[in-house]
Amino acid sequence: MDAYFDWLQNLPFSIWMSESDSLWAYPLILFLHSVGMGLTAGSAFVVGLRLIGVGNSLPLSSIRFMFRLFWAGFFLNLVTGSFLFAAAASKDGHLAIYYAKLVLIAIGILVSVPVRRFVDSDASDRFVPGRIRTLAALSVVIWTGVITAGRVMAYVSL
Amino acid sequence: MNLVHLHLLLNHIPTIGTIIGFGLLLLAFARQSDELKRASLALFFTIALAALPTYMTGYAAQNALKDRAGVSAALIDQHQSSALLALMAMEATGVVAWFGLWQARRPGGVARWNAPVVLLLSVVTIALMANAANIGGQISHPEILSAGETPATEGALAPAMLRTVYIATFQFQHPWAWPMLETLHFVGLSLLFGVVLLGNLRILGVTRAAPLIDVHRLLPWGLWGFVINSVTGMMFFVGAAGQYYDNPAFHLKVVCMLLAGANVLYLTLFDDIWTLKAGQHAPLSARLVAASQVCLWIGVIYFGRMLPYLGDAF
Repeated sequence: MDAYFDWLQNLPFSIWMSESDSLWAYPLILFLHSVGMGLTAGSAFVVGLRLIGVGNSLPLSSIRFMFRLFWAGFFLNLVTGSFLFAAAASKDGHLAIYYAKLVLIAIGILVSVPVRRFVDSDASDRFVPGRIRTLAALSVVIWTGVITAGRVMAYVSL
Repeated sequence: MNLVHLHLLLNHIPTIGTIIGFGLLLLAFARQSDELKRASLALFFTIALAALPTYMTGYAAQNALKDRAGVSAALIDQHQSSALLALMAMEATGVVAWFGLWQARRPGGVARWNAPVVLLLSVVTIALMANAANIGGQISHPEILSAGETPATEGALAPAMLRTVYIATFQFQHPWAWPMLETLHFVGLSLLFGVVLLGNLRILGVTRAAPLIDVHRLLPWGLWGFVINSVTGMMFFVGAAGQYYDNPAFHLKVVCMLLAGANVLYLTLFDDIWTLKAGQHAPLSARLVAASQVCLWIGVIYFGRMLPYLGDAF
């Protein structure tokens, strides 16, 4: 595994990412990663709050487009996150918190599937079942956890 | 024109503006006028925004004055802590004022407590601003002291925990504090950005399924995101002002943020969009405001991220 991390970090692209002074290198990718975070976590928060019961008069069928933002953010961050990882693979690849972040993202995506299925269904403008409410609350907690893990990664060395 | 000059210009706004807002609100009570009340609330919201750069540019003034003969460092410190306390009261007034404007559109109308609370907070703000302004004046104008009066280097109004020195050292004594504040700042960002996208993409017509008055119900959560980020952001600023006040990325971030705030006020005050039913198009003016709002918040994120790269923040 160490050999793989070293290989990844020593690719010309990874070296350009970590060593270039250009604003188009590491800073741009970092910025795009923040926008992706805002898209994914932001839409998960808004949909989650609405399902928990905030602003009940807003028809759920009218916020279905938030799931497109959710996935747009996810794919943007899959790409930018891979770039950021490549630039620091030898360090990040050994961080437990990095793997915790990946696990949390996987759970967040899994939770979003039944939530989206409900919001996309014809039943969504009637009442929200308890199971969906629980999953919505859970998704708010999980995406907060993903953000926390991502931030902590910048500060820990193990 | 430099940042010090800007501080000397801006520092009149919170003091005088709050007094005008207070007068308007009293007049609104006397005349029982909802129009005047709205004008007063909008003014408080605007001054609360203007108070942020007023506080921030103070650090440039401090930097320019600190080595000058006859300028007391203790007095500057006293002014800074008093100003921070006044800023907190001002921001609280602005938040409650915005809630008043928001409540006016909900079915239940404005809560009975709103205007009295704004009135009370504005009185507190006026007192604290006057105190901060008075101490600030003494820094380079000792002639304003009457005979026998001594400069206000002692007897702080601000409790120890709210003084700038305490906040700055606290963040660096505890290794978890800065990462925790950053995490909150990112959570607040996501919350605010999510609500900004929901509202503005509806106005832009990316989807027209939602009646706008129902989107309006979720707006306070965007404000909570903004409150989280103002508090944590101000803590970063107070903790390491040296890396922000003179940082070009920071200036651009604050400019984008203030313009976005003006946009929020526009969308809050004008009626043309909130009556839109499901499927209806927003007028062009509202769509332009919505588009600029999305761009401005992306600008805030961009320049926030560029603090270490366009400037020298860590």
